[in-house]
Amino acid sequence: MEIDETALNGLIEQSRDTHADALRAAQEPLADMVDLGRQTRAGSGPDPDENRAFAGENRRRLASVAKRAGGLLAATGLIGAIADYIGSPAFAASGTDVQVLQTASSIEVLAVSTYKTALGLPYIGGSSANPVVKAFATTTMGQHADHLAAFQAATKSLGGTEQTKPDPAFVPVVNTAVASITKASPSAGALMVIALALELENIAAETYVNNMSLLSNANAKKVTASIMGVEAQHVSTLLAVQALLKGGDAADITLPPPVAKLPAAAGSVGFPNAFYPTTNAAPASQGAM
Amino acid sequence: MSANEPVSHLSEAELRVMTADLDGIHHDLTMPALKASLAEWTEDIHAQGDAGRDGDAAQRLLFDRRRFLTRAAGTAGGVASVALLAACTSSSSSSSAPASASATASATGSAAAAAGGEGQALSGDLQAVAMAASLENSGVATYMAGIKAATAGKLGTVPPAVVTFAQTAMAQHEDHQKAWNAVLTAAGKQPVTAVDPVLQPTINAAFAKVTTVTGLAELALVVENTAGETYQNALSVIKSPAGIKTAASIQPVEFQHAAILYFVLGKYPVPNAFTSVNLARPVSDYHT
Repeated sequence: MEIDETALNGLIEQSRDTHADALRAAQEPLADMVDLGRQTRAGSGPDPDENRAFAGENRRRLASVAKRAGGLLAATGLIGAIADYIGSPAFAASGTDVQVLQTASSIEVLAVSTYKTALGLPYIGGSSANPVVKAFATTTMGQHADHLAAFQAATKSLGGTEQTKPDPAFVPVVNTAVASITKASPSAGALMVIALALELENIAAETYVNNMSLLSNANAKKVTASIMGVEAQHVSTLLAVQALLKGGDAADITLPPPVAKLPAAAGSVGFPNAFYPTTNAAPASQGAM
Repeated sequence: MSANEPVSHLSEAELRVMTADLDGIHHDLTMPALKASLAEWTEDIHAQGDAGRDGDAAQRLLFDRRRFLTRAAGTAGGVASVALLAACTSSSSSSSAPASASATASATGSAAAAAGGEGQALSGDLQAVAMAASLENSGVATYMAGIKAATAGKLGTVPPAVVTFAQTAMAQHEDHQKAWNAVLTAAGKQPVTAVDPVLQPTINAAFAKVTTVTGLAELALVVENTAGETYQNALSVIKSPAGIKTAASIQPVEFQHAAILYFVLGKYPVPNAFTSVNLARPVSDYHT
């Protein structure tokens, strides 16, 4: 099947626009959430009247930003959620929650750096790369950077220090895998990259699913809940790509895929569990500072 | 059901081995954990007792219909999504029609308010559970109707991978429904076998216009995103930690279904860095 480069580029561009809009819109309210956390740490907590004024001001600001962006912002889910968080009681500091969020940040740091490394390989991010795989790696790296920013902002809002380092328990695993990948042939290397990405995405998704019952702060829960499904979608996409690569059908990795050509079992390879497991979830304090 | 012969190099046998391995993991690791969560949740619900009723007002506020419709109208979630929600608003006042999930999406029912587990005096977590069960029933009914239409040759040629997708997604929605109903029955309540009485008429209307596999996939995408976003919202409402574990284990799966549907439709499979709650169904979809 021919790859429709024009259509693919259009989709990627659309995704980039949404991504950029989300970041622009998120920066202001997240910065103010950090200010709120700073106030809480400095004294006896924010003044209730100031808090109400803060909430009103940010609602207006969000509405203004959203209007400028032409409604695309809400598609990210972040803006509606942030508007709610601002209207709710201020983040209540919690040692456990900070640790959970720092660990989540450490996983995102590792994910971003791993995709960045992968994109340096010619068969993932170079001229010989499959366009869909390259677009996925690029977009996914950006989405993990967004997740990192959100977890870091939430950490600071709870009075914690933002985690900027990768999860120490997983770094050796990634380093070992990367060392092997660089020595492998393009076809073997591509499969190893997909396997590594799958492992990291599953760890992220399972950790966040597990964190939902560990977090006590309502806003931290909302942030995590809005991210875990996205990691699971990364897993689905990678499982589908992995199945095609293992079957020697790299040419079928297209958007849209040649659905009529695919074997029946391909229809379910992307979502193997009715209930998302948590057996590979990282311990809550593993990436804490 | 008509289907093209697969010509991919990836053999059916190879893929089946891969999926069997994953299925083994599912049964070895996931199900025992789920059962433990459900048992724990049942105990929590018993412990909640009347305290759960005290939280009703606050929970209903979280699901305020006006708020979520306002949000939905401002999203880029798709015309179909907004139309679906708008139609739900208009139907909410007139619909009292829970249909059995086994009766396919074409059924709307008319009078039996207490049929299929609807109409029980539930509150707190149990009302959220009942709403979730009815939403899963709507998911099952949608896929069942789609498979029936495909089998009858009403959707043209249906690729085998699409058939597998529909069958597997439907089976997983059945698993979800069973999980929710296990909580209800353990609490001494009736299982909810009715479809979502507010959402279903709109699904039925949309389904009546489906004539192709693409059209069915578009409708299924809206249903899956609605389910995922409903659970995301429910995570802020459910009080029991065990209940949160259950909802958290289902939300990503619904979004995985959505990812594959996006892909099949030629759209980017992970369109947003953050999932939203714009399409979340309110607990009031379950009529007490």
